Amino acid sequence: MSIEVSGGRRGLTDPVLSAEIMAAIPDQPLETQRKMNYFMTPRGKRINEYEVLCCYTQPTPDWIPGGLDWGDWTQKFHGGRPSWSNESTEMRCSDWLKHRDPAFRWHALYVKDKAEEWRYTDRFLKAYSADGHVRSMDPVWRDEVLGDYLGAFGFSEYGLFNSHSSVVRDCLGDTLRMSSAMIGLDKVDNAQMIQMERTFLAKLVPGFPESTDIPKNEWTKGAIFKGSREVVQQIWQETYDWNEILFSGHMVYDPLFGQFVRREFFARLSSYYGDSLTPFFINQMQLYFSQTKGITTDMFHTCLAADEQFGAYNTRLMHAWADKWLPRTLTALKDFMGIFSKIPEIKGVSDKPAIEAALHRVFDDWKHDFADPIGYQVNTAVLIKTVLSGLK
Amino acid sequence: MAISAATKAATDALAVNRAPVSVGAQEVHRWMQSFTWDFEKNRTKYSTKYKMANDTKEQFKLIAKEYARMESVKDERQFGSLQDVLTRVDAANRVHPKWNESMKVISNFLEVGEYNAIAATGMLWDSATAPEQKNGYLGQVLDEIRHTNQCGYINYYFAKQGQDAAGHNDARRTRAIGPLWKGMKRVFSDGFISGDAVECSINLQLVGEACFTNPLIVAVTEWASANGDEMTPTVFLSIETDELRHMANGYQTVVSIANDAAASKYLNTDLNNAFWTQQKYFTPVLGMMFEYGSHFKVEPWVKTWNRWVYEDWGGIWIGRLGKYGVQSPASLRDAKKDAYWAHHDLFMIAYALWPTGFFRLSLPTAEEAEWYEANYPGWYDMYGKVYDEWRARGCEDPNSGFLPLQWFIENNHPIYIDRVSQVPFCPSYCKGASSLRVLEFNGKKHSFSDQWGERMWLSEPERYECQNIFEQYEGRELSDVIAEGHGLRSDGKTLISQPHTNKNGKLWTLDDIKKINCVFNDPLKAL
Ligand SMILES: [Fe+2]
Ligand SMILES: [Fe+2]
Repeated sequence: MSIEVSGGRRGLTDPVLSAEIMAAIPDQPLETQRKMNYFMTPRGKRINEYEVLCCYTQPTPDWIPGGLDWGDWTQKFHGGRPSWSNESTEMRCSDWLKHRDPAFRWHALYVKDKAEEWRYTDRFLKAYSADGHVRSMDPVWRDEVLGDYLGAFGFSEYGLFNSHSSVVRDCLGDTLRMSSAMIGLDKVDNAQMIQMERTFLAKLVPGFPESTDIPKNEWTKGAIFKGSREVVQQIWQETYDWNEILFSGHMVYDPLFGQFVRREFFARLSSYYGDSLTPFFINQMQLYFSQTKGITTDMFHTCLAADEQFGAYNTRLMHAWADKWLPRTLTALKDFMGIFSKIPEIKGVSDKPAIEAALHRVFDDWKHDFADPIGYQVNTAVLIKTVLSGLK
Repeated sequence: MAISAATKAATDALAVNRAPVSVGAQEVHRWMQSFTWDFEKNRTKYSTKYKMANDTKEQFKLIAKEYARMESVKDERQFGSLQDVLTRVDAANRVHPKWNESMKVISNFLEVGEYNAIAATGMLWDSATAPEQKNGYLGQVLDEIRHTNQCGYINYYFAKQGQDAAGHNDARRTRAIGPLWKGMKRVFSDGFISGDAVECSINLQLVGEACFTNPLIVAVTEWASANGDEMTPTVFLSIETDELRHMANGYQTVVSIANDAAASKYLNTDLNNAFWTQQKYFTPVLGMMFEYGSHFKVEPWVKTWNRWVYEDWGGIWIGRLGKYGVQSPASLRDAKKDAYWAHHDLFMIAYALWPTGFFRLSLPTAEEAEWYEANYPGWYDMYGKVYDEWRARGCEDPNSGFLPLQWFIENNHPIYIDRVSQVPFCPSYCKGASSLRVLEFNGKKHSFSDQWGERMWLSEPERYECQNIFEQYEGRELSDVIAEGHGLRSDGKTLISQPHTNKNGKLWTLDDIKKINCVFNDPLKAL
């Protein structure tokens, strides 16, 4: 027979082709080692599917620690800057490929989760609207706070989202790159969910402004988000070190400012104003926050701070970065305190003691989860006092 | 608190509309363009000589959650097929051995391209200013993670289920030994991520994806299927569904810079360089993988090439960009010549260097030789008769002590590496257009095989400094290099690479190589 086959004949199903193929196949498999990436060190007991599909896809040479290739880059930037280089960050690591997403999510698992969240969101919105739930929402809360300030907070999420672009370009490891893209996507998802809620409200409440104009004006010109806008701009566009971008955004700014705004302001207060819609979205953001926290604490605590060779140096650098980004984040929170004069006060909920208690929860969490593991000394009472000075 | 007013407003609203209401992805997406804001230092971290327009739109108007839903549906189908029916029919053990070997390379090398495309589109997401354009690139970032995982899945699947796991199971470690790797990095890795951001987009999207994705991802499924492999089509066709978005991104990139004065100055030069860069590797390597890495042939590579690259891409796709001043690359004609012989030339060299691979190669059988001669008249006199000689000298037999590399040395046919493309060539024994050019710079010699690469190097030598395998291995003995690069199977002595896929043939060991005492030389030193 001819070896050229046409008409879409398939070797698996065509009896003639198949017979010839089967005759060529060895009687016994030639290799007994069937585990892909068998040579690698797994995070857990054995190599899992995430590690098989993601680890060592980064083709860096061995002079970038962790890499398996040799030699130089085959094409460089104009002027000769290398494709990837150790100089892209001040952090040092003995293995840039060590990071793992604690949830071991490769692409299929990541999109499966988000797809489920989307389907459930759609069903929830339909039930919420048919149920007439929106009737119970306080109009000041709805029109001022959700229309204006929640919308403005969306820009903080969008700016943080964009801070991940250069991380995805520059970082030195495969799992780092994939994790960074995923936590970046979660941030734009947050910004989109905020707009989704506003569009949804506009459908239910005639006259509710769906446009981004008012929130954008608040974000760019208002006093409440001035500090946060400046931090976000600095993280997004003034910071070049990809580790510093991740650290400032996910280890300082978001666990403090983001957590206060999402959990302690919008999620906590909404129920007092008859709003059960906002918590639905914020809870998804909080899920992403906790997944992101798992990822970035793995990067900074498990890998960099605990690095046998460079841990001490990295920890010192993290302290320096915390010194740099903490005061800016405090200013952001202090500015945000202005929002409480815009809403009708509820005793024990939005008065000063309640705000102080909320700040304590956020700062204590931060100290416990982010500062203590790297031995960073903070006096939360002093920090909280600074923030509270912003209360009008 | 005006609860009563709130109740009234919403009650009134409900009187108007009581139907269940949700929000569609498009209704959110239409606000995307307003998500950004101006501030003083809002600029990209990756410079480009072009200016991308602020109002650039994207064609695939997705939001994060809708993206996830669509991809997840595709994943279910694809992984369902693989894990269910294909596993039950033992499909991985019904693939022709030659093709089993090709997939070690194709899947892993494509994985590198996919992986670098993550970083490349991260850079483009950074350099675009319009939120919609950023969003288009973001979608691609995620897609390329998907494709990286999918390509890995092919090797993972073949390793777990198939007839020869070696190479599938450790390609990420052993791929760096041989002569095809550095060239692959030029096109699929550094060419996508190192340079002017728009130049990288042209390499990745306008050429890599719009031009070579079709032959690579679509044609490969036809060759796979003919040779009994249904895993690869299942995965690659699922990859291909995302590629439309990527080509659209490339198209939008050109649209976004079309009105910029820099475009009329540089765009066609960048496109020509990108085309040459990509074709210089893909034309021979894909042709070689298809024709020499299969048993059943679909059609001569030159036909595929002419259809996809010359007519579809060079004609229709580029033609569509004509209104933005884009011209068909000047190097397309030279490339067309390469499409006829270059893959035959490269296979000769790749086979001569077979011990450095992470896969088994095989010489054409008698019926294949007939097919080559029928489709490429003159093939036998140039290549076929040399293969007969190699076979007669026992090149497949570990006891022969013969490596085809010796034939090149004995006949004084030195093999050089083109500095810019990193593709090996033998100027004194080839039918393709390669000719040797040697230049000296900073006390170092550089060889080139064509005028286009030489020009790129002449204008920016600092971009192409990478040492080649002969410089790297100079003075070292072959078995030593293989051992260091982990080119051995799990028994610790048999090579992963072999010069045949004959099921009754003996397998070469590291000792068989050591006996030959083959020591690497840098051919540039002899000049
Ligand atoms: Fe891709
Ligand atoms: Fe792509």
